[in-house]
Amino acid sequence: MNGEVGRPISRLLADVDGARCERKGDRRVRIDATPENLPAVLELLKGRAGYLHLSAITCIDWMDDGEFELIYHLWSYEDRNLVSAHIRIPREPGVYLSVYDLFEPAGFFERDIHEMYGVFFEGSPDQEKFILTEWNGPPPMRKDFDAEGWVQGTFQWEDYRPEWLQEIEEKGGGIAIKPEQARANTRKIRGWKQ
Amino acid sequence: MNDFPLPVRAERSNPLARVFDELIDFCRARSMFMLHYCTGCGAIELPPAMTSRFDMERLGIQPMVTPRQADILLITGYVSIKTLKRVILTYEQMGSPKYVIGICSCTVNGGMYWQSYATAKKLNEYLPVDVYIAGCMPRPEAVIEGLRKLMGEIKAGRANSWERYFREYDRYLAAQQNLFGPNWQTPTDIIGEARDYQLYGPGTEGRHTELLQQHQVPLQPLRMTLHSDVEKSS
Ligand code: SF4
Repeated sequence: MNGEVGRPISRLLADVDGARCERKGDRRVRIDATPENLPAVLELLKGRAGYLHLSAITCIDWMDDGEFELIYHLWSYEDRNLVSAHIRIPREPGVYLSVYDLFEPAGFFERDIHEMYGVFFEGSPDQEKFILTEWNGPPPMRKDFDAEGWVQGTFQWEDYRPEWLQEIEEKGGGIAIKPEQARANTRKIRGWKQ
Repeated sequence: MNDFPLPVRAERSNPLARVFDELIDFCRARSMFMLHYCTGCGAIELPPAMTSRFDMERLGIQPMVTPRQADILLITGYVSIKTLKRVILTYEQMGSPKYVIGICSCTVNGGMYWQSYATAKKLNEYLPVDVYIAGCMPRPEAVIEGLRKLMGEIKAGRANSWERYFREYDRYLAAQQNLFGPNWQTPTDIIGEARDYQLYGPGTEGRHTELLQQHQVPLQPLRMTLHSDVEKSS
């Protein structure tokens, strides 16, 4: 049965323009949809294929492409299969439709994404602050938010070379990789500006 | 950090009083109630430390559920900025003498969350910390070792960094305001308490407490109603 799970989905989506379906593993199917046809795709999956459970909506910030990727993860209890529907929306203005009317849990996911990335979901019941109730900065998960810069400008650091450590160092012990060096290495590996 | 060194407690000349002081310190070190406000993942090492395997109670350390009755505030791991506010509120409600233990590297310097926007870095900036127990996460042996160190300090009469919070309130408030914004206010009147406990020092008041007093809103008693005004959203 496993091998056949993918086929009904691709047949189901045959009528939807621009939706591609690809089997990624035993229990995983990837659908590439467009912002226009995603609601139709989700409706078909829910109504005709038993994908009743929206387990998460993921957002990825592709800053260089100027796009947000939204991924809707749907689970079918009958087929025991996970379908991920991917769309990309322009980063500016970063507005998309809510799927709250189809899947009620989407309200939470959309609120969370709105808080973390600033994507606005039209028709979502509540786009108020969710977890970061006391945060007034920009949406922190956007790639253009420089978390490290913010941290360096906001916090003090504990002294890394206290007296007792110097005593240990004299005896040949101590920290193997100095914190400044470790941070510089991280920046180099990740290609951040020094 | 130590702009204002704490005055060393002078030994009293009356030998009987000295014995009494020592007895008090000994008893204090031997019956500590620990408020376990588990902030981060380091808390997972506390159940084994408290229960039969390592059994903290044989050292006289017991968990306590309310801040008013607790002696030790154990910060077990990263404190997010939101949590830090609650930690400070809790700390201010505890009766003196009170001790803060920072378990985990995250309380020292943010640990592996050092570049996170959500985690406060240096706990010592916001509260006077007595003992740090480094490690990610420290094992129960290390936790107990740290507690024993604190007990030793209390017994020797040296564990009085809680006085710093009163004597140098301005400095702690400065760090708190830096993080929470200039409108930060807690229900506890630290300056009044400092006067009351005769712990008013040169650093108690300053620029930041002035700022606090400018916008401080007097506390109102909470209105009690039988039925909730909040409409249930259906
Ligand atoms: S030091 Fe490690 S174990 Fe402790 S709170 Fe931080 S991440 Fe968790």
